[in-house]
Amino acid sequence: MRPPNRQPEGQEEPPPLLRTWGRLYAAVILYLALLITGFYLFGRRFTP
Amino acid sequence: MRPLDWTILVGSLVLVVAYGLWRSRDSGTVNKYLLAGKTMPWYAMAFSIMATQASAITFISTTGQSYVDGMRFVQLYFGLPLAMVILSATAVPIFHRANVYTAYEYLERRFDAKTRALVSVLFLIQRGLAIGVALYAPAIVLTVLLGWPDRLTTLVMGGLVVFYTTIGGIKAVTWADFQQMLVMLTGLVAALVTAVWLLPREVSFLDAVHLAGAAGKLNPVVTRLDWNDRYNLWSGLLGGMFLALAYFGCDQSQVQRYLTGRSIAQSRLSLLFNAAAKVPMQFLILFIGTIVFVFYTFEKPPMVFQPVEAARLEQSGAFYRDLAARYEAAFEERRRAARQLLEARRQGEQAAVARSLQQYRQASLAFEAAREEGLRLVRQERNQPSFNDTNYIFLGFVTRYMPAGLVGLVMAAIFAAAMSSISAEINSLATVSVIDIYQRHFRREATDAHYLKAARLATVFWGAYAVVTAEFGSSLGALIEAVNILGSYFYGGLLGVFVLAFYFRGVTGNGAFYGVLAGEAAIFLTAYLTGLSFLWYNVVGCLVVVAVGVGISRLERSYLRGARV
Repeated sequence: MRPPNRQPEGQEEPPPLLRTWGRLYAAVILYLALLITGFYLFGRRFTP
Repeated sequence: MRPLDWTILVGSLVLVVAYGLWRSRDSGTVNKYLLAGKTMPWYAMAFSIMATQASAITFISTTGQSYVDGMRFVQLYFGLPLAMVILSATAVPIFHRANVYTAYEYLERRFDAKTRALVSVLFLIQRGLAIGVALYAPAIVLTVLLGWPDRLTTLVMGGLVVFYTTIGGIKAVTWADFQQMLVMLTGLVAALVTAVWLLPREVSFLDAVHLAGAAGKLNPVVTRLDWNDRYNLWSGLLGGMFLALAYFGCDQSQVQRYLTGRSIAQSRLSLLFNAAAKVPMQFLILFIGTIVFVFYTFEKPPMVFQPVEAARLEQSGAFYRDLAARYEAAFEERRRAARQLLEARRQGEQAAVARSLQQYRQASLAFEAAREEGLRLVRQERNQPSFNDTNYIFLGFVTRYMPAGLVGLVMAAIFAAAMSSISAEINSLATVSVIDIYQRHFRREATDAHYLKAARLATVFWGAYAVVTAEFGSSLGALIEAVNILGSYFYGGLLGVFVLAFYFRGVTGNGAFYGVLAGEAAIFLTAYLTGLSFLWYNVVGCLVVVAVGVGISRLERSYLRGARV
């Protein structure tokens, strides 16, 4: 009782953005860094 | 709750369930019932993963958490995007290509049947312990605030979830989750807008943010490293990453969501969407709590937010009356100091701002001390040392101050959060019970229709189990927190065995099996013997599993080589 695999072996679909998965992963990590920096600056700006 | 609130609450529940069932009308095979025939688009999986993770108690208590402790709780989620990237690059393609129903099925291919059985049983224990609490925890809060019997709340929520999960399987769960997530987001935005709108006319949104900052609530990034501090940047990034790796990579309730993807790319996108959306969403929830805190700077909050205990406290005699008078005075002083601080900021005189800030902070400390005395009184009189009212702060605000219609919307969001988590848990427990236990150990060869029936029966069983264990929830009392923490004891072991499976080619079945046992023992010993924050248990457990697994496998191989010579 195996679930049928719909994706043919060896075929890797590219991401809809940035063309490669490696670039998309790097973008997510950069986004996280920017988010944390933004939170840090937000906290500093409003905490006297 | 007014008639409009009831209409919105009942209407949204009916719509969500009906939509889930309509989308799942073609679920007549095991593959379609458990994996949606691997046809799901990324956005449905992404919302389902988010909805599953956001339980009602998280929804209710996170806002209360920031009211009490500020926004630093958001750091718990900083490791999540990193985990999503790692899982997208490794676990997603491995699980997809392995063509499995459960994550644990893969372990038998990679190691052996006993490792699969051990990990499946660990999952069933962990989720089985949590599911009754997941149903009971929001019920008790709604019971106290709305005056419903807790049995009715658990029956309504549990009954609805079992109904659509049993009939429609994972497709119904995923599409209902999708709708439930939309209800949750709408409820959150409505709560934030209303909280800002309810502020006094002379207090602008920016004033509110400044006051929250002055009270020390705007602390979303704490850079100081403290091993015993639950929430700082480092525990969030490292401990949070391990927790997210374990939860999204090894917990069937999450893995099953992205196994339904029509391709590896769709599953990856669902995880990466969560990587991008989860941290801002938690920030938003916590920010609502800080705005509620500012609202209560100008509107006197109850000394104790749990209404039953608050009413009992009022009857407790002269000491309470004295405390209530001090609390009232402390509130007035804090309100006066807050207005003075805002006025000084408007005038722009630095010396006056500094002076007012100091007065505001002193007044806040005095006010918090008076409230803490009230809580201590409840703890003493009720003999409940762990009593706290954090879970009642946000819902108390909603039911007392929000306009008709929006109360129903927020209640619908809380029901949606509870139901989306419980349905995923029931669905995954049923899947593991049938695929990893029943089919593997009791009935290896049977028809598809037989396993489909078994999956439906298992869903009903776990749903009934959740309702029945929630019925005994009142006797759990303070154990609710203990059971939640107990659940986190298992993730390190689960993560460790998957790290061995994915990254250590030479590890044997015995190595993995005894590695998991050693990892679990290490977690329990760490919890028992040290004061280390629970976020680090996942790191400890995972490292011990890997070290013991690799060590035993090497010993085994050298023994076998010696035996051959």
